[in-house]
Amino acid sequence: MTAKRLRGIALLAISMVFLLAWAFPIIWSVMNSLKTDSDVLAYPPKLVFTPTWEAYRDVLFGSGSILPNLLSSVIISVGTTIVTMLMAVPAAYALARLRFRGKKFAGFYVLATQMLPPVGIIIPYFLVLRNIGWIDTYQGIILIYLSFSLPFAIWLLVSYFEDIPFEMEEAAYLDGASRLKTLWRIIIPQVRGGIAVTVVFVFLNAWNEFLFAVVLSGNTVRPVTVAMFNFVSVEQTLWAKLAAVSVLAMLPVVVLGVVAQKHIVKGLTVGAVKGGGRR
Amino acid sequence: MSGQGQVSFRNIVKMHGEFAALKGVNFDIKPGEFFALLGPSGSGKSTTLRILAGLDTPTAGRVLIDDKDVTSTDARDRDIAMVFQSYALYPHMTVAENIAFPLEMAKLPKSEIAPAVKDAARKVKIDHLLDRKPGQLSGGQQQRCALARAIVRKARLFLLDEPLSNLDAKLRLETRAELKKLQRSLGVTAVYVTHDQEEAMTLADRMAVFMSGEIQQVGTPAEVFARPNSIDIAGFIGNPPMNLVPARYVDGDVIVAGHRLKTTTTTAGERDVVVGLRPGALRMSEGGLGARVDLIEDLGDTAVLDLDCAGTMIRMRVADGNIPGEGDTISITARPQDVHLFDPATRMRL
Repeated sequence: MTAKRLRGIALLAISMVFLLAWAFPIIWSVMNSLKTDSDVLAYPPKLVFTPTWEAYRDVLFGSGSILPNLLSSVIISVGTTIVTMLMAVPAAYALARLRFRGKKFAGFYVLATQMLPPVGIIIPYFLVLRNIGWIDTYQGIILIYLSFSLPFAIWLLVSYFEDIPFEMEEAAYLDGASRLKTLWRIIIPQVRGGIAVTVVFVFLNAWNEFLFAVVLSGNTVRPVTVAMFNFVSVEQTLWAKLAAVSVLAMLPVVVLGVVAQKHIVKGLTVGAVKGGGRR
Repeated sequence: MSGQGQVSFRNIVKMHGEFAALKGVNFDIKPGEFFALLGPSGSGKSTTLRILAGLDTPTAGRVLIDDKDVTSTDARDRDIAMVFQSYALYPHMTVAENIAFPLEMAKLPKSEIAPAVKDAARKVKIDHLLDRKPGQLSGGQQQRCALARAIVRKARLFLLDEPLSNLDAKLRLETRAELKKLQRSLGVTAVYVTHDQEEAMTLADRMAVFMSGEIQQVGTPAEVFARPNSIDIAGFIGNPPMNLVPARYVDGDVIVAGHRLKTTTTTAGERDVVVGLRPGALRMSEGGLGARVDLIEDLGDTAVLDLDCAGTMIRMRVADGNIPGEGDTISITARPQDVHLFDPATRMRL
């Protein structure tokens, strides 16, 4: 047994510990979602049990169906993502490329918004939305989500745009392309990876958001993160159903994560090596 | 679309804050000419090219192309093609798509684009690589792809910004010769930026030599080589460059390291000068300037000697078969017409 081999085993063991710590709550949720309520509460916990889809059937098609809430979540997340990207791509391009008065300040402002504790601004947001009558509306929630998704998306995208050499753009101008054509045909295809990463992050942030949603939503617009608490009441907690909803809410996240995994890993290391992601 | 390709720069000034990158540049390029902008880095030659391309705007002055003022015309409306030092190929497009891009932007019908792309690729010998992406090409092939993209449109002006500097030495020499042939066969006006005086000498019909934001001389390579306008140009052109030695002018002669040399240049009275002597214009002859051979750099057909003439360093080029030994003492001289004189104060030619 060589030292190299030992090292490999030690590393594997350490990673398994971390993986387990991360995976445990998810495994636990999946298991509970397939149990009956009595099985959930059994002590010691039952590791071997007869799985049942009852909880899923109830939360999807029962009287308190969460389908409308899932739809709400989809509308909010997709809406937030589309509006964010439509604004963030040109904004990031401008920040990366153009010279204009106040650019430094704009860059700092974008970052500064990320430093505010969200709880600190929730009451003003509530008051503003109430005054314009946008509480419990899609446009209201999407507007508020934009206030943090947009700076984040811009900040993430700028580094991708900055990676593209100026000469590439100048070559396009000399080839007869307008600025917009250059952005569309030359620049954006090269930041596809960055755009994919940003879409995933923005979508997930909106999908997982709870704090603002619980304050600013109501009976009409109620995303699944808030609706989950229908199954928690003063008298009892419907564990199996709560777990089933959690798993359903997790599904799109997991799917997106797997699909975009390659881009995300690249996205996390962008800027580490100048231009390393490109050629 | 293709026009004449005549260029005039009129008093172009470019300021970067307080720093003057160009201090009033004037020159004219004739249609069909291969014109080099030569100078050390930071001399303003690239800025000049960028202003001509429309990628930078001058602080003052006017740029004329075919007698039309284009100073404030957008780059894309100038009908200019350019090869960048980094090639600036579009990495997400194939070679064919890269070459086709300028034609697409010019809204040419598809039926005309395909043959034009093929034709341009054939001219630079990359027609077998049309389906590759730039990342799958060697440096030389990328360079050819950039050339093809520039020539496909048949623009009236063809700009090249140090296009050979990223190639290895052998490829550089090959491509240099091909570039010249290509430009001749296309008959297009070419403006070529380089810091390599050998490239400029071999390629250019005429050249402008830049020194710290100014053009110090415009002429054919032979003219600039034979009669450099200033000490800076004399020390920049030629390999090895001209020997520049402080000396004293006394009625028709110059005294270099204690020895009298005849010169054809005349100037008033007795004064301090800088004497310029081309290494290749020096000959060995009896009764000349005494010199000890410090070092011999043998280049095969010729050799460069480092000579110590009473404390003054002079380099001399001699033909094969005529090489003295290291440590030998020889006597050198130059024909009067090969003795150039410069003013040490203004640094200009006398």
